[in-house]
Amino acid sequence: MAEIVIDGITYSFDGKPKLLDFILSKDKDVPFFCYHPSMSAPANCRMCMVKVGQYVKNRETGDYELDDQGERQIRWFPKLQTSCNMDMMDDMIVHTHETDDLVKRAHKDTLEMILINHPLDCPICDQAGECPLQIQTYKYGPEGSRFEVKKQHKPKHVQLGPRVTLDAERCINCTRCTRFTDEISQSHQLTITRRGDKNHPTTAPGTEFDDPYSMNTIDLCPVGALTSTDFRFKARVWEMNQTPGLDITNGKGVNVDLWTRDNVVLRITPRHNPHVNEYWMTDKGRDAIHLYNEERLSTPAIRLHPKDISLVMSSWDNAYQTTQEIVESTDPKQILVLGSPYASVEENGAWMQFSEAILKQLPSYTTHIEKGSGDGFLLVDDQAPNTHGCELLGLKKRTKAAFKKAVAEAKVILSLHDDYIERGWLSEEEIKGKTWIYFGTNHTQMAKAATLTIPITCAVEHTASYINVDQRIQRTYPAKETKYTNRRLDLEMSEGRLDRFGTKFDHWVNEDHKVDCKPLWEIVGDLSLLWGHTLSYRHGRDVLDALGSKIPALEGVTYQAMDDQRGLLLTLSETQEASS
Amino acid sequence: MSQKSSDNGASLSQNGTSAYKFTKEQLAEIEVLKTKYPEVQAVTLPVLWMAQDTFGHVDPEVQRLVAQTLDLPESHVHGVAEFYTQYFKEPKGKHVLDVCTCLSCHLCGGMDILGYLENKLGIKAGETTPDGQFTLQEAECLGACGYAPMMQITNDVYVNHLTPEKVDRVLDQLASGQTPDFESIPMPLVSTTSNNKAAGGSDE
Repeated sequence: MAEIVIDGITYSFDGKPKLLDFILSKDKDVPFFCYHPSMSAPANCRMCMVKVGQYVKNRETGDYELDDQGERQIRWFPKLQTSCNMDMMDDMIVHTHETDDLVKRAHKDTLEMILINHPLDCPICDQAGECPLQIQTYKYGPEGSRFEVKKQHKPKHVQLGPRVTLDAERCINCTRCTRFTDEISQSHQLTITRRGDKNHPTTAPGTEFDDPYSMNTIDLCPVGALTSTDFRFKARVWEMNQTPGLDITNGKGVNVDLWTRDNVVLRITPRHNPHVNEYWMTDKGRDAIHLYNEERLSTPAIRLHPKDISLVMSSWDNAYQTTQEIVESTDPKQILVLGSPYASVEENGAWMQFSEAILKQLPSYTTHIEKGSGDGFLLVDDQAPNTHGCELLGLKKRTKAAFKKAVAEAKVILSLHDDYIERGWLSEEEIKGKTWIYFGTNHTQMAKAATLTIPITCAVEHTASYINVDQRIQRTYPAKETKYTNRRLDLEMSEGRLDRFGTKFDHWVNEDHKVDCKPLWEIVGDLSLLWGHTLSYRHGRDVLDALGSKIPALEGVTYQAMDDQRGLLLTLSETQEASS
Repeated sequence: MSQKSSDNGASLSQNGTSAYKFTKEQLAEIEVLKTKYPEVQAVTLPVLWMAQDTFGHVDPEVQRLVAQTLDLPESHVHGVAEFYTQYFKEPKGKHVLDVCTCLSCHLCGGMDILGYLENKLGIKAGETTPDGQFTLQEAECLGACGYAPMMQITNDVYVNHLTPEKVDRVLDQLASGQTPDFESIPMPLVSTTSNNKAAGGSDE
C-alpha cells in the first residue's frame, strides 16, 4: 500500500489515481476549471497548482535520508505542479493552499491572469450564482484588478447552434466544451479558434453546433460563455429551486434536476448517476420543460354533444359521475382499458387494480419503440419511460394490429397518457362515435378528440417510479405544485426563496402556474368509491407498498432504497418466469 | 476580424464538397506524409502548407478539402489553420509583406517603414493592392530584432535593416519577378572570435 502525505495528513492509496481526484475525494478543496472527472486532463487552466515533493531515499540502503534535525529530507519539484494530471506516487508530500503560501499566491495570480480580459458582467450573466470562476475568485482571487488598459473584445452573442449561444469574451479557454464534443459526444463539432487573447471556441465555418448532446457544454462551461439560447436571461440561479427528477422523454431514465420558479420548470439539467447517465443528458430531454409547463390539461373537460368541436370545462364530481354513468351503461365486454408505458409504475398499478376490481378486465398497453433512434449512448429506441414497468405489472401487451382491432371493437375506451393519433396509430375517423375517456397531462391530439378528459399529474408533480430500458427502477419528486398540493406542507418538495417569502398577493407569484390536476391513484380511489370499493391511495408510496406485496420483483423496493442506491436494478426476467 | 469567421460560412458550397481538388500526385504525396507521423492529425500542418502553395490560401473551402482528404473533423482543420498566422485564411496578394512593428523594430522605425509602404502602395495595413500584387500586413516579432526594422516576404525571405530606398528596391525586384537575396548579417558589436570566447567562458 502506497502512502502520501497531504497537508500533513497521511493517506494510503492503491494504483495510480490522479492527485486532484484524490484530494477532492478527501473532501478537501482545490480550485480548478478545466478538469472534469470523465474527460482527459489537459491542465490548461493552471488553477489546481499544488506543491509536490518526495522523500529522499538512499539508493543503496533504501533508507530515508535525514537532515540535521533528524527529519526526512524532501526533494521538492522545482516548480508548483498542476494536480489534475499528476500521478500519485509512494512517499509523496503535497501541500495545498491550506498549508503553503506559495500555492495561495499561485491561485491568486492565475486568477488575476484569467480575469484580465473577463468582462465584469456578473450582474447580467446567466452563470452568476453557479459560476466556478465567480466562486473561486471570491475564495482565492485577488482583491482588485491592476489592469488599467482596455480589455480585449471578442464576438458576443454568437449563435453556435440552435440551442447554444456563445459569449466569447467570457470564455477562459478551458476547452471543456471542445473536449466534450471530441471525447463524449464524439461529434467533433467544436474547436478553439485563433490564439493568445483572441481565442475562443467555435464550429467549423458553415457548420452549426447541432449535436444532440450540445447543451451539456452549457453545464460544463465554468463561466457564462456558453449559455442556453432558450433559458438565457430567464431567471437568476438563486431564484429557482432545484428538485431531482427523471427524464421521461425516452426509456433511458436519465437522472435530471428540475429548476423551477413559481411552479414553472425553467430548465432541466443532468444529475450525476454513474449507473445511468454519468454527467450527461440529451438536448431532447431538456425540451421537456414545454411538456411540463405548456398546454397542460387543467380541470376535467367534457364534450357535451358528440358533434361539438371543443370540450367544455367540467367539475371533478361531474367527471367522476359521468365516468360512472358511461361505464355502468355499457356492456363490460365493450369497454377497453388502456395502460401506458408513459405512465409510472404506481399509476399503471393503481389503474390495473381499478380496472380489475370494477371493470373486471386486465388493462392492455402498447409499446412506443422507434427502431433506429437510439445511438448507444443516451438516446434509445424506446420512446416511453416505463415500458418495463408495464411489463412487470403484467399488463397485456398489444401489437399495433391487435390494438387497432381492440379499439375498433370497443365502444367505451379508458386510456392513459398515450397520444395514439400523433403517433399515427389511430386516425380521428377511427375513434368517431366512440366514448373515449382520456386520463392525460397535456392537450394532445388524443385529448382534443376525447369525450371526457381527466387531468392527471405529470412526472414533475408527483412521486412515482419508472423502470428504464436497463431495468433500473428510479423515482421522481414533486417539483411543481398542483392546485391541491402545498410546498410548505409537503416535505418532499423543495422551497426556493420566492416560494418561501412570496405570497399570492405579490406580483412575482402566479397562482395560474398551478395546474388543476390530481395523481391518478387519487382519482382512481375517488372513482372506486362510487362503486363502493375503497382503493384509497394518498401517495405513490401507498401504491408501491401494495404492489410490493403482490409482485415479487417489487418486494422491498422502497423510495428510500431507490434514493440510497441511485435506483435499484430489478431482475425482471426471473419474476416473469415465476409468474408465467 | 473576429466576426468574419462566421461570415465565411456564406461562401461555402452547400453540397458539402469542396470546390478545390488536390491532384493525383499530391494525394500520393499526402499518403507518404501520413506514414511519417503516428497520427493523421499531425499531417494537418504539411497538408495545409501544400494547399496554400497550390491555391494561394486556405479559406474555409480549402480547409474543408483538407479535412475531407485526411478524414479529419472540419473543426480540427479550421482550428489549426486559424491558430497560425502564416496560413492565409482568405485570398491574399501575390506577395505578402509582413512588416514587423514589434518592440525592437518599432524603436528602430518599423512604423515609419509601414507608413512608407502604406503611402507607396496606397493601401492600409491588412489590405491588398487592387492589382493583387501586394498585401501589406503588420506582424508581431519575427525573431530578427538584431536587424530591425525588418519585414518578411510571403512567409519566406527576410529583408533586414529597412530604409525607404531599400523598400523601393525590394518592391521593384518583386514586381519584376525576382526574389530579394538572402543577406547574411553578422551580429553587430560582437566579432566572430570574441563571440566564441564569450561562449566558451560561460561554459566553464
